[in-house]
Amino acid sequence: MNKIKVGFISFAHMHAVSYLNSMQKREDVEVVGIADENAERVRPYSVERGIPYYANYDELLAQDLDAVVICSENARHAEITKRAAAAGKHVLCEKPLGLSESEMLDMIQTCKDNGVQLMTAFPCRFITSVRQAKEAIDAGQIGEILAMKGTNRGTMPGGWFIEREHSGGGAVLDHTVHVMDLMHWFTGSVAEEVYAHAETLFHETDIDDAGMVHVKFANGVVAVLDPSWSRNRTFPTWGDVTLEIIGTKGVINIDSFAQKNDVYSDITGKAAWSFWGDDMDEGLINSFVDSIRDGKPVAISGEDGYYSARVALAAYESASSKQTVRLK
Amino acid sequence: MNIAIIGCGTMGMAYAGNLAAMPGVKVTGVVDINAGRAEKAAAVSGAKAYTDVDTLLQQEELETVAICLPTYLHKPFVLKLAEKGLHIICEKPAALTLEDALEMKAACEKHGVRLFIGHVVRFFPNYANAYRQAHSGVIGTAKMAHFKRYGSYPKGMDGWYSNHDQSGGVILDLMIHDIDFACWLFGEVESVFASVIKREEPEMEYAQVTLRFKSSAIANLTGYWGYPGPFTTQFEIAGDQGIIRFDSNQVQSLDIKLAAGPSGEQAAVQIPSSPSLHDPYYDEVQHFIKCIQDGSEPRVSAADACYAVEIALAAERSARTGQPVIMGGNAS
Repeated sequence: MNKIKVGFISFAHMHAVSYLNSMQKREDVEVVGIADENAERVRPYSVERGIPYYANYDELLAQDLDAVVICSENARHAEITKRAAAAGKHVLCEKPLGLSESEMLDMIQTCKDNGVQLMTAFPCRFITSVRQAKEAIDAGQIGEILAMKGTNRGTMPGGWFIEREHSGGGAVLDHTVHVMDLMHWFTGSVAEEVYAHAETLFHETDIDDAGMVHVKFANGVVAVLDPSWSRNRTFPTWGDVTLEIIGTKGVINIDSFAQKNDVYSDITGKAAWSFWGDDMDEGLINSFVDSIRDGKPVAISGEDGYYSARVALAAYESASSKQTVRLK
Repeated sequence: MNIAIIGCGTMGMAYAGNLAAMPGVKVTGVVDINAGRAEKAAAVSGAKAYTDVDTLLQQEELETVAICLPTYLHKPFVLKLAEKGLHIICEKPAALTLEDALEMKAACEKHGVRLFIGHVVRFFPNYANAYRQAHSGVIGTAKMAHFKRYGSYPKGMDGWYSNHDQSGGVILDLMIHDIDFACWLFGEVESVFASVIKREEPEMEYAQVTLRFKSSAIANLTGYWGYPGPFTTQFEIAGDQGIIRFDSNQVQSLDIKLAAGPSGEQAAVQIPSSPSLHDPYYDEVQHFIKCIQDGSEPRVSAADACYAVEIALAAERSARTGQPVIMGGNAS
């Protein structure tokens, strides 16, 4: 069996660990190397797992590779994606895809020009409740979608996430894109108007940690989304992904992490939710690998990443102009 | 305290039952243009049934009147009763326009009578508890909130709820509960943004509203008439050091399941309930009566009620224009 050869570039975003674990579960995948300028950060995954380490990702790209997984700081997604594409490697890129419309369109075009696929890492599409909701919607169970309300509230991640030169934005960029992608997927439409607040309300930081994003889609659907880093230290889990979909014939509520046990621990000193549902990251990785192996289009394209990230960018524009922003 | 109830629909009946049980209060008359409904309220409260207000006013010695009429009738009745020197407890929302609400308030001030608007959510123990908790410091400073209020499509007399000119729609009639609570919690509003979806067959109206407060707090509210599920309220208040959450579907202290299916008949307007000695409407009216008796200030003032109308109408305007509405001036 010809194995799919995969490299990892940067573990700045710790989703890389979970993606690596999912890759290593597959018989048909060989992880050829991990590139990261920070050797210490990846030691537990490279040296300790016997995976070759590269300080410079160009050296990794020079190897015999089919695809790379990019989990760098947001600000480096474009540069690394384009280099990987030029080296003829398919790309799975962590969200948000990029930090400007032009940069993202450039990434998409470069991948096309080099005949490689670009997939945006939106694991929420592989939450089982989300997939079943999509099936129910496509089967017409709730009729036509009229409105949606979503939340992707989380814990303040700290680190480079709150350094604008690395992240490009705070909570509104970090957490708008996941649920916005689901909204696009469910409606089959594209966000056309954005009105938003982006504020620093919860933490001692210069970057936005709170927001509220209203969207109107081309097909008339209205939606609102809370992307705030508003989960405090004693909240029983890191955050949530919820989506309520109001249709002409019914209502669907998704509470992605509701499959949990309540744990009351004197050892940790707080109540906690222990999640026991399916692993969405594994679904994402399997989908990417299957597409590469079978030569089929990836399930979540670069364009999908672009459509969601530009809503977050428009949200900042709206928050600063205090007006509704129209997307072209 | 002699009190009369005008309007014997869902709310009038709730008042009738509560006031009949309240010590020191006598319901002397109940009025409804529909004699059958007036008789029903009379039977519950021990009052005399009337089909017009003028006859009530001629025959009964009153101090206070509870107005449980459709919203579009609030103003004419408040003006008429204030002129007669009667204290008024009026169902929410105060009126269909800010001008009308302010005129009602001014008329009551002019005639030296008290005006209370039934923003009962401030008296719901779960909301009152959340307000106290949020202000106690245990969650630090409250910064963001979500409020949700979903119910079936209300069926008033002659379908007045579905007539926007009579009820004001889902924001002014239903979401105004949460607008008032959010303003109680966070203070004055800086800007309002809203989207509304309205459809016939099946009739529904749904709204999502974001309020940005001068304190920089943000609240998102959703309201829904025509929700296919059970009457549902939810809220979350997030502070910089803690979170308060409530979900009406997760607080059943009593659950009785019967082998035979439910009888099928649904209330015209859903009213939430939870096992308690008195319902929040009882506590609310008792509080208003106490304010009349001792001259104290109510938990929710007529000015607060006018402000809630102002914000609700700003939301309607935002939904029409697709742009935020910036609020000006002071709360009252």
